[in-house]
Amino acid sequence: MNKHTVAIQFIVITVLALSIYSCKHKEDEYHNVIEKIEAKSKEYKGVTVSSESYFDNIELIEISEDGTSFLIPDRKNQIQSYACTECHSKPLQDMENTDLKKAHWDIEIVHANENTMNCTTCHNPENMDNLKSLTSNHIDFNASYQLCSQCHTKQFEDWKGGAHGKEIGGWAPPRASLTCVNCHNPHNPAFGTKWPARFNTQKIKERK
Amino acid sequence: MRQLKVFSSLVKDSLDTITHGSKKYHIWMAFLTFIMLVGMYCYSIQLDEGLQVTGMTDRVSWGLYISNFTFLVGVAAAAVMLVMPTYVLKDIDFKQAVLIGEGLAVAALIMCLAFVVADMGGPSVLWHMIPGIGVFNFPNSMLTWDVLVLNGYLFLNITIPFYILFRHYQGKDSNPKVYVPGAILSVFWAVAIHLVTAFLYQGLQARPFWNNALLGPRFLASAFAAGPALIILVLAIIRTFTEFNIKDKTIKKIALVVTVAAQINLIMLFSELFKEFYAPTHHSESAYYLFFGLHGKGALLPWIWTAIPLNILATVLLTFHKLRNNLKVLYFCCFILFVAIWIEKGFGLIVPGFIPGPYGKIAEYTPTGIEIGVTLGIWALGAMVFTVLAKTAIKIETGKLRYKNSQ
Amino acid sequence: MSNNNKKWFSLNLNSRKKESNTCGCGNASGGCHSNAPKQELSEKEFFDAAVNASIGEERTRDGFDQVFDVKMDRRSAFKKLTASLLIGAGAVSTSCSVITDDETKEKAQIDWEEQFKGNYKLMSDDEKKATVDRLVRSYQLRTGKTISMSSKNAEADVLFGYAFNISKCQGYMDCVSACVKENNQDRSSQMQYIRIHEMKDGKGLSFDEADDNYYHEVPAEGHFYLGTQCFHCDNPPCVEVCPVQATWREDDGLVVVDYDWCVGCRYCMAACPYDGRRFNWSKPEVPENEVNHNQHYLGNRMRKKGVMEKCTFCVQRSRSGKNPACVEACPTGARVFGNLLDPNSTIRWVLENKKVFRLKEDLGTEPKFWYYMD
Repeated sequence: MNKHTVAIQFIVITVLALSIYSCKHKEDEYHNVIEKIEAKSKEYKGVTVSSESYFDNIELIEISEDGTSFLIPDRKNQIQSYACTECHSKPLQDMENTDLKKAHWDIEIVHANENTMNCTTCHNPENMDNLKSLTSNHIDFNASYQLCSQCHTKQFEDWKGGAHGKEIGGWAPPRASLTCVNCHNPHNPAFGTKWPARFNTQKIKERK
Repeated sequence: MRQLKVFSSLVKDSLDTITHGSKKYHIWMAFLTFIMLVGMYCYSIQLDEGLQVTGMTDRVSWGLYISNFTFLVGVAAAAVMLVMPTYVLKDIDFKQAVLIGEGLAVAALIMCLAFVVADMGGPSVLWHMIPGIGVFNFPNSMLTWDVLVLNGYLFLNITIPFYILFRHYQGKDSNPKVYVPGAILSVFWAVAIHLVTAFLYQGLQARPFWNNALLGPRFLASAFAAGPALIILVLAIIRTFTEFNIKDKTIKKIALVVTVAAQINLIMLFSELFKEFYAPTHHSESAYYLFFGLHGKGALLPWIWTAIPLNILATVLLTFHKLRNNLKVLYFCCFILFVAIWIEKGFGLIVPGFIPGPYGKIAEYTPTGIEIGVTLGIWALGAMVFTVLAKTAIKIETGKLRYKNSQ
Repeated sequence: MSNNNKKWFSLNLNSRKKESNTCGCGNASGGCHSNAPKQELSEKEFFDAAVNASIGEERTRDGFDQVFDVKMDRRSAFKKLTASLLIGAGAVSTSCSVITDDETKEKAQIDWEEQFKGNYKLMSDDEKKATVDRLVRSYQLRTGKTISMSSKNAEADVLFGYAFNISKCQGYMDCVSACVKENNQDRSSQMQYIRIHEMKDGKGLSFDEADDNYYHEVPAEGHFYLGTQCFHCDNPPCVEVCPVQATWREDDGLVVVDYDWCVGCRYCMAACPYDGRRFNWSKPEVPENEVNHNQHYLGNRMRKKGVMEKCTFCVQRSRSGKNPACVEACPTGARVFGNLLDPNSTIRWVLENKKVFRLKEDLGTEPKFWYYMD
């Protein structure tokens, strides 16, 4: 009978030792990932990779808004036949009636309603080379986001932070983001409907 | 040196034993060989074309193989219900049954390992799992625990009966001091293999159907019902076809074990059903799918509604002494109980764990012919292993096979 | 085709053969025959001829895997039961055979070394480079094409995180498409890492009522869209359960798989609460002209059948500073990716200034994938 007790004791001890050894030990001492991020980013020293080589020859300009500075694409050299005054040499009324070659006469504004927006809300008939704010201050075409931010303040905050819009290049610094008009046509800013890029026929079979 | 000579003589004699027998025996072995060959052919197709030939998908990523694996771990563990009374409690009535039970455990474990290998996507790199050569993620992965306990149990269940038979073969008595500690260890080990297998599922927070504390105990209860039930059936067959003497008393004692385990199993089943259906949460969806179908899909309904009535019927019949002591009724009960638990613990447990998927999507699972072929092949392998082991053991135990000193 | 300009790592199994430039078969008109046209053919032509001679139809197979399973018909498939032994034996026998040439021998040696290499997680940088070189060379031998494969390690001070704007996603599935192409996902089973769930407005996040395989013009009235993929949990259950450590979390937070170490038990798949993992039920097939040749060992290199794979946040892109393909492809800017440890990163701004949440947070898996709204 003694032998049995010894055997049982041996087994119990082995099982106990095994279960203590097997306690899942976490690799790091943090309770959750947020804590880990906070702790580790205190000694953040920067990374060796850079986005710069992925900008694909897009001309970028640096902007600085409320302490956040990042790159956005240059706009002026993307507009066909900038400066505007190269054509718009006389007042609009005069140009309407002449038989000059027509350029963008067919633009229709699908942006807010007529009470809120018309051409001159943003464009300055006096000086076609610049945009104008609601209070008739000049806004450079390269800083057109300032125009949008007059009404879309929330989106502007998100864009500055990075929650709205899209990055150029990659995640690595320096940060470069598309500006409003790269995605939204200012005259018709909403996104349209389209068909999804993919349809998975295999899934249909599996879920029969 | 002498031991080696005896051993080689034993191997020779047992080879002689298993290749000779009655016509029925030869037909039985030929039948098993045929099924195994069919299984191997099916497996070769699976190796060639990948697991796409099975019914499994990304949604239901474990199927028939793992279901059978889970069930058979239980059958293997059940041998302990015979080992404990014989070796530890010194109950003579179990003495004849215990070697058969251990043989059954060996066969079941070999089938378990075969099912696991059949389920692997890359059987050719299984050496990655061998401690020392590969990388063994112990103790984090429950699967590594399972590998350890299954192989350990296999080792115990081979060595103990081998020692006893080896002594008997030489006409000597076996020394209890040698095998009793092993037997005691195997008692704990049997509980461990089944608990660890339950923990394999129980530890997954991703699958609420498995992630409940009752799973382990229920595994044990159902195992101690289904395993001894199978042993009773096997003993009945052995009694009919060989002169190995198994007393009614032995069978009746095992029947008592089956009955108590089946009753406990039923209580746990009701407890589980109560929890799932009295206050259902979205974690109960798998149970709803299993018992009533979900969103018009109910491929498991015929299975589970076969299993539950069979289970209840068997348990109720077994509960009455009069019925249980009638061997015909007992065999019938054991058979339906075995089938019921096979369904409940195989299909009824593994498949609904995956349905609905993590995002509520339902893709149903039906095993393909190839999968069934491989499964039958593995069962045939198990049956053959058991037949070989049992035939040799019986011949030694009945005193017909003895070491001849003259050699 | 001199042996001297071998760039790949050799176990030195055939050192006797490598010393001389003849194939050592002693049969000049047989095994050494392939060296004969060298004078008449340009290097390119010779290379093609040699590849054809040595591997023949294998290079034209679809889904050219780098994984060296010897093509067999069903009758011989029984042999696969001892596949690893066979490949080993094959490597030895081909190196001694009288009808082999250098290419076949080299291929056999690569097969041998690849079959018995260790776990990538535990490799030294040199070993990592060696296996990558072998895989590149093997691909070249099999298809005649060159790929670039990286073994770049995680960078210090980087922890990748992801945010998804459910008010912005319009359900166009451009991300899904880009992901499939970038990551060389199996076309025949239409494997996709990303799922976009079309949810009904006013029902909360009821995934079971959502449709993740819609095909109609989007965005549909009264619906919003939510994308899921691998969330690269900080406490990943899939990593815990893997019996062979074939999947692990890298220092930059990416949860990756060593496709060559995976045994295909699919335990990780059962353990993942987010449907983040995919299994190769059949041999993955990618049309040759669609293969992305910019690869990483842990990322989009070609997989074989019977192994697990998953989103890696495009490790081949993200480790070199780019955004994952899904982020780049998204036309609505609903996807934000970045370094969680950089206090000035956009992902950090999102976490600190938007109302973010994660899926199944109660499971304690700590996903590094947040959702937010405008």
